[in-house]
Amino acid sequence: MKKFLSLTLIHILWIVPAKAQGDSLDFLRSTGKIYSVVAVIAVIFIGITIFLYRLDRKLTKLENQINNEQ
Amino acid sequence: MRGYWWKFAGVLIFLYVLIGGMTIPTKAGIISVIPGNALSGESLNLMITGYNTHFTECTELRAWLKLDSVHVVKSKTIKKISERTAEFLFHIPSVFPGKDKVQPLTLIIDNEIDGVFVQPNAVFITVNDSIAPDSSDWLLGSLENLHEAKGTKFPFRNILNETIRNTFFHVALWFAMFVLLILGVYHAIQYLITREYDHDILSSSYHRIAIMYGIFGLITGSVWAKFTWNTFWTTDVKLNMTAVAMLIYLAYLVLRGSSSDYDRRAKISASYAIFAFLALIPLVFVIPRLTDSLHPGNGGNPALGGEDLDHTLRLFFYPSIIALILLGLWMSELLTRYERLKEKILLKNQ
Amino acid sequence: MNITKVKDIFLKELSIEFRQKFALAGIFLFASTVVFLIFKSFNNINPREWTILIWIIMLFAGLNAIVKSFLQEKKETYLYYYTLFDPLDLIIAKLLYNFVFLCFLFLIILGLMGLFTGFPVKDTGLFLTGAAFGLFGISIVFTFVSVISVSESGNSTLMSILALPLVLPILLLLLKITAVSIRLLTDTAIMEDVWMLVGVDSILLGAMLLLFPGLWRS
Repeated sequence: MKKFLSLTLIHILWIVPAKAQGDSLDFLRSTGKIYSVVAVIAVIFIGITIFLYRLDRKLTKLENQINNEQ
Repeated sequence: MRGYWWKFAGVLIFLYVLIGGMTIPTKAGIISVIPGNALSGESLNLMITGYNTHFTECTELRAWLKLDSVHVVKSKTIKKISERTAEFLFHIPSVFPGKDKVQPLTLIIDNEIDGVFVQPNAVFITVNDSIAPDSSDWLLGSLENLHEAKGTKFPFRNILNETIRNTFFHVALWFAMFVLLILGVYHAIQYLITREYDHDILSSSYHRIAIMYGIFGLITGSVWAKFTWNTFWTTDVKLNMTAVAMLIYLAYLVLRGSSSDYDRRAKISASYAIFAFLALIPLVFVIPRLTDSLHPGNGGNPALGGEDLDHTLRLFFYPSIIALILLGLWMSELLTRYERLKEKILLKNQ
Repeated sequence: MNITKVKDIFLKELSIEFRQKFALAGIFLFASTVVFLIFKSFNNINPREWTILIWIIMLFAGLNAIVKSFLQEKKETYLYYYTLFDPLDLIIAKLLYNFVFLCFLFLIILGLMGLFTGFPVKDTGLFLTGAAFGLFGISIVFTFVSVISVSESGNSTLMSILALPLVLPILLLLLKITAVSIRLLTDTAIMEDVWMLVGVDSILLGAMLLLFPGLWRS
């Protein structure tokens, strides 16, 4: 049973990513690869969001510092 | 409201690029031509799959196979299968000028909706000498009454397809990065001259945003490469040189993080920034031009500008650079203000 | 700039280095161990591996040696130099010393590699010209970076972090020139790469000479 489970697990782990990758790439390549443009814009947007999040955290730290002093 | 206008301008221009860059369609193009080769003198039935074409909707569909500026064959009959596919019947002439055994023909299709579009080297003809000469098949002279595509459209490039829109985002990122780097180096020089701490803050903020843009550029570039060259990372010089440049600038961040003495840190990082910028110039501009590259403008590929960057692309490419620069300035201004505040608190505590 | 001063500092550096025989022996030992290790593990080295290995050994041995030579001097010594010399004289002497030192090290490594693995270079002139300009560029970067790390209270980790990405472009050019001189690649325009190397060297040299006096004043 254990062996069977591990085998199926290996199977799933092997097959699923392979299949998913093929599918997602096909999807991203559909309609003249327009989704790659979407992906590029998403990268820029996520990057700017990460920047904002980090700046936010830094500012919170600074605010706490000021509040503690008063 | 005062002082904010350029930030709003940045957002608005970016929005314009986003909307315009995503909604304007690309021109019609040819994806596949079957069969890709034929013998001279035979009747050739070409099955053509187009992109963004309107084969059934249009009324005046015409096609030619062109050898050079004077040797052209017009298609006899056209069978429209769908908007995207059609069959074109050609009588390939039996006599070819020149002595080459195999001659490439360019496929030209024209209709009143999509305008004229071209596929170079669409069909290769193997010249067969045994058939009796009959030169009447050639339509001598240049093509007439070609149509212009209706409305504003982006150019169609094979393989690139819709990803030509990435020019507005990926390529513009590099231009914006360079502007920010130049600003950063300017303030580094100013710091070394005036020794005012504020210049150091400005320089570091510009550098940080520029490095961020550089990392965006690498990631977006590798996403784009995956769809055009089918790999995330190539041995392309420009890509690898930029990666080296990013490593140099990551070392700048390490340098800034390593020191606690503000005065010394400012001086050292200003010097390093100037040094790194000078090391960057040959890296990004000169070395890639000496070797072959997949990027335009290198190793014989056409430079940006010219045919690659046509009028409609420019309409969005330049605003995109301006928008990214303005957004970058905004972000570095936020960083600067944060650093100034931190410095003020530090001084108050002492 | 004063030629005799430069010569004095240069000779002083040289005599310090040769007085500390163990340091020199240590570098020699480092190089020979690495070369021997490579020889034993590869057994048969083809020219492509040879090209890469020689420059990687050179890079790390050189970095090691220059870090050592900079760390052995104390901050007080630098303060003493500051009162004594013009910064330009000092940096030029240091640069020349580093250059000569790296060339010496390179010849040792080349000799060892030749002994163990053979010498596949076909166009020796091109190889040596490229190596000379490349080593000059590497010594400029190392000198500049070691100045920075000395003013950062002798942080040797910082030196490797800063130096490695900065020498990368020079190293890439060097690899190409070496590959051509071994005839792994054929490139008729290889002289362009050599000139490129000269250009990079002169840009870096100019930047260093401009920036060093400012860095020194601390």
